[in-house]
Amino acid sequence: MTDRFRPGARVRTARHDPPHHTRLPRYARGKHGVVVEPEGRHPLADVRSQGRDDAPVEQVYAVRFAARELWGEGDHHVVLDLWESYLENPEDGTS
Amino acid sequence: MARINDVGGMQGFGALDTSDDTEPFHADWEARVFALNSALVREGVYNLDEFRDAVETMEPSAYLAASYYERWFHAIRTLLDRKGVVAMAELDD
Repeated sequence: MTDRFRPGARVRTARHDPPHHTRLPRYARGKHGVVVEPEGRHPLADVRSQGRDDAPVEQVYAVRFAARELWGEGDHHVVLDLWESYLENPEDGTS
Repeated sequence: MARINDVGGMQGFGALDTSDDTEPFHADWEARVFALNSALVREGVYNLDEFRDAVETMEPSAYLAASYYERWFHAIRTLLDRKGVVAMAELDD
């Protein structure tokens, strides 16, 4: 499996609100950011947290968000480590 | 389903305590809970993501009233019961 996103790629996070553990925090759902770099592959925590042993092993990316995008204010940035499943190409059209 | 642990960016919790607290544990039972969880993960009774899930599904008012390692102990009990290692009734004896 090749990495879907390259450093510098613009991405939009998923809007999901799953009934199980996830490592995409609520404040960062449906937000636009920029990929900084890949961080390595890990089993998807959302699946593994359900006690399943079939979790896909995905690239995890450092993704940079403007505070203004996350909270509507602030001049700083926040970098989150996010699994590939949490990220979409904002050009794909679906919202 | 937003959970009680997911409070990043929320207002009203006051300033973060960033004082330099170098003590890893503040009571012997905390060290035991830490060691117990490490052993159970290492032995494959459950994985770390299941553990985090069990912490997050605490009843919200209990979660907010509990200390860090009290939440850990709650999750260990929940998972030992769920995995059939011990029954909650046995733990309460």
